[in-house]
Amino acid sequence: MNVVDKLAAYEDQISPGISACVGCNVELTLRTCMKVLGPDTIFAIPPGCMGGVGVVGWDKQSGAKTPVFFPLLDNVASMLAGIKMHYEHVGRKVNVVAFAGDGASVDAGMQCLSGAAERGDKLIYICYDNEGYMNTGYQRSGSTTKGAWTSTTPVIDGVGGKKQNKKDFPMIMAMHDLPYMATMSPAFIPDMVRKLERAMVESERGLVYLHVYNPCLTGWGCKSDESIEVSRLSVETNFAPLYEVGDGKFKMSVDVKNPKPVREFITRFKKFRHLTDEDIEALQALTDRKMKRLHELCKM
Amino acid sequence: MSEVKVINGNMAAAMGACLCRPDIIAAYPITPQTPIVEYLADFVTGGRLGSSVSEVESELSAMSVCTGASLAGSRVFTATASQGLALMYEPYFRASTLRLPIVMAVANREMISPQTLWGGPQDSLTVRDAGWLQIYVEDNQEILDTLIMAYRIAEDKKVLLPINVCFDGFYLSHMSERVEIPDQESVDAFLPAYAPEHIILDPRRPMAVDPLTNGYLLTEYRLKHMMAQQNALKLLEAVDEEFGERFGRSYGGAVEEYRCEDADYVMVTMGSMTGVAKDCVDEARRAGKKVGLLKIRMVRPFPAERVARVLMGRKAFGVIDRNVSFGWNTGIIYEEVCASMNRAAAFVPNIPFIAGLGGEDITAEHIRYAIDEVMNHAEDSVKQDTVWLNREDKGR
Repeated sequence: MNVVDKLAAYEDQISPGISACVGCNVELTLRTCMKVLGPDTIFAIPPGCMGGVGVVGWDKQSGAKTPVFFPLLDNVASMLAGIKMHYEHVGRKVNVVAFAGDGASVDAGMQCLSGAAERGDKLIYICYDNEGYMNTGYQRSGSTTKGAWTSTTPVIDGVGGKKQNKKDFPMIMAMHDLPYMATMSPAFIPDMVRKLERAMVESERGLVYLHVYNPCLTGWGCKSDESIEVSRLSVETNFAPLYEVGDGKFKMSVDVKNPKPVREFITRFKKFRHLTDEDIEALQALTDRKMKRLHELCKM
Repeated sequence: MSEVKVINGNMAAAMGACLCRPDIIAAYPITPQTPIVEYLADFVTGGRLGSSVSEVESELSAMSVCTGASLAGSRVFTATASQGLALMYEPYFRASTLRLPIVMAVANREMISPQTLWGGPQDSLTVRDAGWLQIYVEDNQEILDTLIMAYRIAEDKKVLLPINVCFDGFYLSHMSERVEIPDQESVDAFLPAYAPEHIILDPRRPMAVDPLTNGYLLTEYRLKHMMAQQNALKLLEAVDEEFGERFGRSYGGAVEEYRCEDADYVMVTMGSMTGVAKDCVDEARRAGKKVGLLKIRMVRPFPAERVARVLMGRKAFGVIDRNVSFGWNTGIIYEEVCASMNRAAAFVPNIPFIAGLGGEDITAEHIRYAIDEVMNHAEDSVKQDTVWLNREDKGR
């Protein structure tokens, strides 16, 4: 079955009418993930965009058809680990899944996630990386790109922005020697579906980490109808490369033969609008360096 | 058949937990609780206990794993102390407000700073308003017995609340004494299996747990939570009585009254200091002094009615706290006792004492001094300043 037929056949596990921003590619990512993971899934949505738009629910209504709950911002993986341990203890196979933003994953929840990864808790942990605390008004996170405007790294008269490099979290998770780690993009749905299917298999051996790079239209300043286009550009510029690591073996999922300049991606957003040519060249150099490292790892 | 062993308080806690057959255990080692984690690991590795164990990377995760496992339907156990309890505060509060019957032993230890690792219940008393039930015990037998009773109370449908069984670090955790260990069949008969019905994370019964909730609903949750705490107060008395019938030991429920019947003066104590205080009461009685003792077992909910009933009409009482209530210039239990008396519209002259902080010994000399103060000076003024024992001029 091809991907289109497959996705058409799967039941949508997320209710219609959740209140995500127009064109939000995280909503598309969540719907796709949950379709593939199916109804035998318990998932956690920590505080963040997808919590804020009513996926867990508001008052007596829920935005999900499968069991869902709010973990704390900083205990997503360990709360899920407890749930998974229960089902292993009683001998039932259930997908136990996190759908968490970068704040809950790379910042506040990093200790719990790293602990669960090291212990081999059999979770599927999906991080939607929109480079900051977008649900509360675009504050910076450890996953925000250097130079970016955020509400806590303001730019005044052309001066400011985040001063530090983005934490390379997929690489950090890969170095936990997981059964499977992969990066995904809402512009590459067939790739995403394949990785989710593999994740369900590999998570029987330990923690699987999936990192989705999700440009945030509202927070970054971008038109809603360019959602998929800019997501694709993040891959085509090697800014957010698609790769996967199974048992320590690195492999490019989408090998971009002639990468476009990083400038083409970052100039699409208001949050980078103040960057100088020098700043952009530095981001290009950083991207090239990281890509070279990734290619070297793939040769090993 | 039960057996008798000489074991320390941590072993009593581990054996008590073991007899309750938790499905999931998640605990992070911290002095003075560390041996509990080691003993349980031994029990599981040796095949004596069939629990699944998570070797968590922190107390935050210990409480979080317990919360997740309990939400999915497991009986869980954990233990901590001091800074560990402080680190788990976020999921700690939430475990009670999700109404999850988690049982956690606390080997009470002082809070830093100054840097300390010795005994004192400042850790768990500080979080007494986070919605958990809290019981404080006097000796190692009481640790084991109370843990078994704790599951019965926590998992009762009229309660459904997490519970702490608290015991003084080092004084109990590392002190060995005689403990009678009930047999597994008797405990199984006393404690049925846990099957959650209120909330559950299970694809066979899909539900959203804990969505964003309006204040009008949250108010209902709080009200019912408080009612459940009051139900636990009643249930503790009944469970303690049933335990006594089955196992031959009971503890008086929420408080223990010791030689109070005709007492003119009552000393209020909690935890391991109670042993020496009872000796001093006996000594005072031999000298013709009408002194009794009230041991506080349950701190949450606080047994206000019983405490007031015991204390009202006496000539004076004293409260010895091994902790402080910042801002009140007294100990925490003293304030709880005063609130109980006020609610009963009763006034009895009294003196607050603070003793044994940072694991300092509370000796017979301290208690004798305190009894003397209560008998001779409680009526000096309505407002008494706290008497700090363990300082050079007080009973040393």
